[in-house]
Amino acid sequence: MTDDNEIKLSRTRTWGGLATEPSYGPGPAQGDYHRDLGNPGEYPYTRGAYPHMYRSRMWTLRHIVGYGAPEDTRDGIEKARAAGATGINVVVDTLTQQAIDPDHPAFSAEVGLEGCSIPTLRDAERLLAGIDITQQDIAWHSTILTYPMVAALAVKQALPLDKLQGSNMPDHLSLALSGWGTALLPPKMAQRITADCVEYSVKYSPRWALGMPQAYDLRERGLTPAGEIAVGMAIVNRLIDDLKQRGMPVDRVAPSLAWVSTSDIDFFEEIAKFRALRRIWARTMKERHGATDHRSMRLRIACHTAGKSLTYQQPLNNLARASIQTMAALLGGVQSVETCTYDEPICIPTPEARDLAIRTQQILAHEVGAARTADPLGGSYYIEALTDQVEAEALKMLAEIEAIGLLKAIEDHTIEAMMDRHGLEIQREMAAKERVVVGVNEFVQADARTPRRFTFDPGHTQEHLRRFAELKRSRDQSALKNKLQSLYTATVNDHNTHGPMIEAFVADATIAEIWGAVRVAYGHSYDPFRVLQAPGYFASNVP
Amino acid sequence: MTAAHSPIRCLLGMLGTDVHTKGIRTLAQLLRDAGVEVIYLGEHNTVEGMVSALIAEDADIVGVSFSSAAYVHYLAQLTTLMKQKGVGGIPLMVGGLVHAEDHEQLRQMGIQGIFGPGSQLQDIIAYIQRATGKKLG
Repeated sequence: MTDDNEIKLSRTRTWGGLATEPSYGPGPAQGDYHRDLGNPGEYPYTRGAYPHMYRSRMWTLRHIVGYGAPEDTRDGIEKARAAGATGINVVVDTLTQQAIDPDHPAFSAEVGLEGCSIPTLRDAERLLAGIDITQQDIAWHSTILTYPMVAALAVKQALPLDKLQGSNMPDHLSLALSGWGTALLPPKMAQRITADCVEYSVKYSPRWALGMPQAYDLRERGLTPAGEIAVGMAIVNRLIDDLKQRGMPVDRVAPSLAWVSTSDIDFFEEIAKFRALRRIWARTMKERHGATDHRSMRLRIACHTAGKSLTYQQPLNNLARASIQTMAALLGGVQSVETCTYDEPICIPTPEARDLAIRTQQILAHEVGAARTADPLGGSYYIEALTDQVEAEALKMLAEIEAIGLLKAIEDHTIEAMMDRHGLEIQREMAAKERVVVGVNEFVQADARTPRRFTFDPGHTQEHLRRFAELKRSRDQSALKNKLQSLYTATVNDHNTHGPMIEAFVADATIAEIWGAVRVAYGHSYDPFRVLQAPGYFASNVP
Repeated sequence: MTAAHSPIRCLLGMLGTDVHTKGIRTLAQLLRDAGVEVIYLGEHNTVEGMVSALIAEDADIVGVSFSSAAYVHYLAQLTTLMKQKGVGGIPLMVGGLVHAEDHEQLRQMGIQGIFGPGSQLQDIIAYIQRATGKKLG
């Protein structure tokens, strides 16, 4: 039996599996300061993206919101702002994320369940009524069709596209790797639509930010910190090469990108990761892609703490975990943080959990001094050695992936197998107690109370479904058909799909219809679940 | 060879739009290592699709995993359709983020294998043998 009062070291490797020494000191391993570190805000940006870091600009304190119908989520956004969140973040439901309409017969139970249901432009209008999208920065936690829908809103409201604010995560390839599978996101189509989105938004909405790569989901699915850098960089390298071929140089693309990262439970390893990541990014942009603009080489990072590190058991322990992870993100120099709520493994956030997550960041900002000085752990023998170690491991993995070729490594499941191996290793280590997770495989409490769950009134969702059906009946069917056919033709002819997507949204096409047009143009089934038939006008093209 | 020593065929998959595949993929490998014949159906199945696969694969047991809160709804649909298609006798186990407050409702649907957070592999393996009446070599 374990004695709770006696704590023995259970592990000397990092959570990501890197070997560590009992102590670190000065030695030949320490590189050249200006070459390898540089001052904060200087190439290679190891020590931070900006010279004064949080003194010049505080990180954006974000809190994610999304449930039910658009009006439910709007209510949640207002409450998060009242509690002190400085950015608006919208999470859409799983159907909207996957471009499935809420009337799909197989999935009605999931409408609005774990995010906001926004299947049409009319719903985006309801969600953002009275908010000027050229003034307010809204971070969308979604990929498929998000930019075209928000751009369509600007078009419909006669707002200038080039003033559009906000961000989304246009990385479709990372989704194919993060549990969506290649049936939902065929890799070639995923890669093309990402390039279309980035090309179009950079050209027409230069203030729109792109959370790319979406490395957070990859980590949750099963990558180590070094693996996050490797797969993320492979995705970014491919994007930059694609856009170069379209005549868009790296210095037009890279400044719009921000890395979507996580902060897991291994404090020092995550700090080292953020530092190694900035260094690899800077050198890759300069040396491989020929960037000359410092904004291309200076990586900005958006961070959401690690949901997978939190436990259902003894959920209040998650407050400690999320605090440490948030602190690691700040000491690692990120530009925005969303701290997971302690009830993340149980339900979408309760109001109490939401407030505690926001307060955690406020305590770190105002009491702890986490924001005071840039790169406060820079020069620590351990942190510098670990930064080098994460970097070396990441570059090795990246070379392996690129030797196979990114798309092939996705299609032949090489990367998925890499993640499966890591997942299996974690499971085996936990069984052997070589990896201790408090409350899960040690310090287990038999009589732990069951946590409360978030609930909301599904009344608005019913109304939302009724409105959706009504819109589908009442819209101009011939305009709709024209717009969807234009999108189909643009997809087949390798023209950028995003202009036609925007026009289709304005014509009240639904997400499933718009995405379905692209799928059919690629020779895939209109409905990835093969339950629904394509509209008649695509019938001749459907496999 | 007696029936008790024929291999255990276990169908594993996910229903609906849930993309959290890490757990069930890990379990699939661990069960294979333990000698179970795993038919891994993957994510993004409809209830109809899963029941058809269950019949086509002649599985001894079926396991579904959820990270989404829609599991009570989906499991009600699944157990109903399994009965309608004449395979209601095949044992069903569920894993993932299953909340303790829902256990009773799941048992009323006839689901005996409930493996929420903190479940141990050996308990899952013991249940599979008990429910199928077959032993692993």
